[in-house]
Amino acid sequence: MGRYFGYLILGLFSLPLVAGLAGTLLPALGGMPELAPGNGLSILLLDPRFLPALMLTLKTGLVATILVLLLTLAILVSVHGTRLWRWVLGMLPPLLSVPHAAIAVGLVFLIAPSGWLVRLLSPAFTGWQRPPLDWVIPDAGGWSLILGLVIKETPFLLLAASAQLATLNVDAALRIGRTLGYAPARCWSRLILPLLYPRIRLTLFIILAFNLSVVDMALLLGPGNPPTFSVFLMSLVNDPGSRAAASAGALLLGIGVGFAFVLVIVLEKLISAVAGYRRQSGHRGRGFGFWRTLACFSAVLLLGLGFVSLLMLALWSVARRWRFPNALPTEWTQRHWLNHASLYEASLSTLSFALATVLLSVLAAVCWLECERKHGLPNVDWLWYVPLLIPQITLLFGWQAAALYFSFDGSWLTVVFAHWVYAVPYVVLILAVAWRELDPAWNHAAAVLGAGYWRRLWQVRLPMLMVPLSQAAAVALAVSVAQYLPTLLLGAGRHQTLAIELVTSFGGVDRRVIAVLAVMQSALPLLAFSLALFFSNRSSFGVMKSSRQHLATRERAL
Amino acid sequence: MNELRVEALRLRLPDGNLLCDNLSFTVLPGSVLALMGPSGSGKSSILNWMTGTLDPRIKAEGEIYLSGTRLTDLPAERRQMGLMLQQDYLFPHMTVGQNLSFGLKGGSRQQRKTRIESSLDHAGLGGMVDRDPATLSGGQRARVSLLRTLLSTPSALLLDEPFSRLDADLRQQIRDFTWQASAELPTLLVTHDVADVPASAATLHLAAVEPADTLTVTGLPE
Repeated sequence: MGRYFGYLILGLFSLPLVAGLAGTLLPALGGMPELAPGNGLSILLLDPRFLPALMLTLKTGLVATILVLLLTLAILVSVHGTRLWRWVLGMLPPLLSVPHAAIAVGLVFLIAPSGWLVRLLSPAFTGWQRPPLDWVIPDAGGWSLILGLVIKETPFLLLAASAQLATLNVDAALRIGRTLGYAPARCWSRLILPLLYPRIRLTLFIILAFNLSVVDMALLLGPGNPPTFSVFLMSLVNDPGSRAAASAGALLLGIGVGFAFVLVIVLEKLISAVAGYRRQSGHRGRGFGFWRTLACFSAVLLLGLGFVSLLMLALWSVARRWRFPNALPTEWTQRHWLNHASLYEASLSTLSFALATVLLSVLAAVCWLECERKHGLPNVDWLWYVPLLIPQITLLFGWQAAALYFSFDGSWLTVVFAHWVYAVPYVVLILAVAWRELDPAWNHAAAVLGAGYWRRLWQVRLPMLMVPLSQAAAVALAVSVAQYLPTLLLGAGRHQTLAIELVTSFGGVDRRVIAVLAVMQSALPLLAFSLALFFSNRSSFGVMKSSRQHLATRERAL
Repeated sequence: MNELRVEALRLRLPDGNLLCDNLSFTVLPGSVLALMGPSGSGKSSILNWMTGTLDPRIKAEGEIYLSGTRLTDLPAERRQMGLMLQQDYLFPHMTVGQNLSFGLKGGSRQQRKTRIESSLDHAGLGGMVDRDPATLSGGQRARVSLLRTLLSTPSALLLDEPFSRLDADLRQQIRDFTWQASAELPTLLVTHDVADVPASAATLHLAAVEPADTLTVTGLPE
């Protein structure tokens, strides 16, 4: 019975993946003429926005990913093991928990011509009494989008790498390498990075897929003409005449991401061959004081920009009068919080989706892991990664088509199910490490005391795993709160969550109102993580006590 | 002369407790000084300080000289101290030959290859140059690890319980190999096991070191 329950969970998870791909593939190939008439590919290729949008996406997605990787490696090589490293690690969880859209809005408030950075320098250093007209945010080249992606994704890769470093015995390798006469940077490049990279490759692929297909951040930080490819496809999907083209584009994006993975693997092989050859040269290398300083500066700048972006949101949400070039508001108010028409409704809607997602994803993960442990079901960790590696748009256009076809679009349950598919991989992967590592002797000890299966589960296993469970729940909540595209496409406009309100209000509504939405969207996951952290610190069990250990576990799972 | 000298070493833990106080010793080339003591007596910390890899939270005072050159403020990679640990730390992404090549300094590709092959032959490991370290036995791994250290031409050798993970038969074999290979270097051996200490070695028992004592132990060549 239990075994079949495990397979049911796998089926529930796999079904939308298959349906999503089929629902995108069929309209793209002309298989659903009543929903998506016409030859999608030819409509797409003939659209004058196609090529510029594609080129822009390649630029923003690839440059952002390369910068994320380089910055992560530079920070690791230069900062690991120093006091700054502990500070960096401490800064990562809050930045990771905040949704992309909120960071993007904060970044606009920071780097726009009327943003805080210009205000800080004006008029004393610039002479500007009005916001300059020399640049606009979002910029046409997509650089502000690249910056936003780098600020949000570098902490993700850094955390994944830091968790893996714990398993690599870095200190011993550095010690041996240095006593053999190699400079620290050379020890990293020859001894540690060749072992570390394969372990963070999957996380890098998740980041690459995300950067090439992101929608909400691209709407906020990306240029409008041409837009990024995903945003361009979003403009097609709701037009019945262009639906087939949107599906063809989504399919093309999925294939493109696949090609990008292959490209990365080919580059990896090339670099590995060159590195392997150079490794035998015996060159010990020199000090890298300048580069180290530069990397330390980059780490502080990157994390600083993320945090100051969040600070901007908080300031704008309570600002009444904040004229340029004042560095701080001259008058403060709570009015935007109290009189915000849609805040209450959007928060409630967001919370209802989030709580349902947390409950269902934790339940599914616990059931699956128990089935795996008890009935020896095969380890299918690779399957949980699938929705994270396929561009959201490629799956969601298909889900939307399927939902429209079977008339279950717009329902609360449909949206919850979509959130669940994106939350459950994180929850399973976080819990899996702790679940599999929990010493079976605890279970045996309870069994010989006469405890049956359910008593052992409720009174021994679950309480002992409460810390990872609370962390997984916080992550599930953060994932759900950040979901823009699934809510938009499957909710059929009937569910106004904070993510939807924030993105749709941006540009057309007062900054203060947008800031309130962004702060609220950030506050929910931050609160969840704080509660999980509080719980972790109070937990009397020794199983993975610190939150950092936990987040490391989560990243190890990834 | 490659004389290894430590003067007035004091190590203080973050909680303020002293790990060792005013410790001084000299080890002459070809001689072995055995540092013995129970767990937590600071043996490995002393070694870490000597190699320049001490945990920065431990406060250290004292001086270290090798061949008359002051090493105290030099980074680990410039101290020319060969280090062997309890674990062999053969890099898993390199073959046996590549591990040895990593230790070698300078030379053309051909020279390096010849050097590696001859040292493997000398150690009874001929033909293993392309082997994955994971396929070697414990004794073979220990020998490769020592060879790698020696190929980096250190001016002194520090051994941190390098034999403790080997079984009894292998131990004697590797001990002999080590003492033979390091015959001209000043060698500091950290160990729990009296059997690891060669008969000619001087021994320093850390448990017997009282704070504020000044001990000078000189390992003399045979």
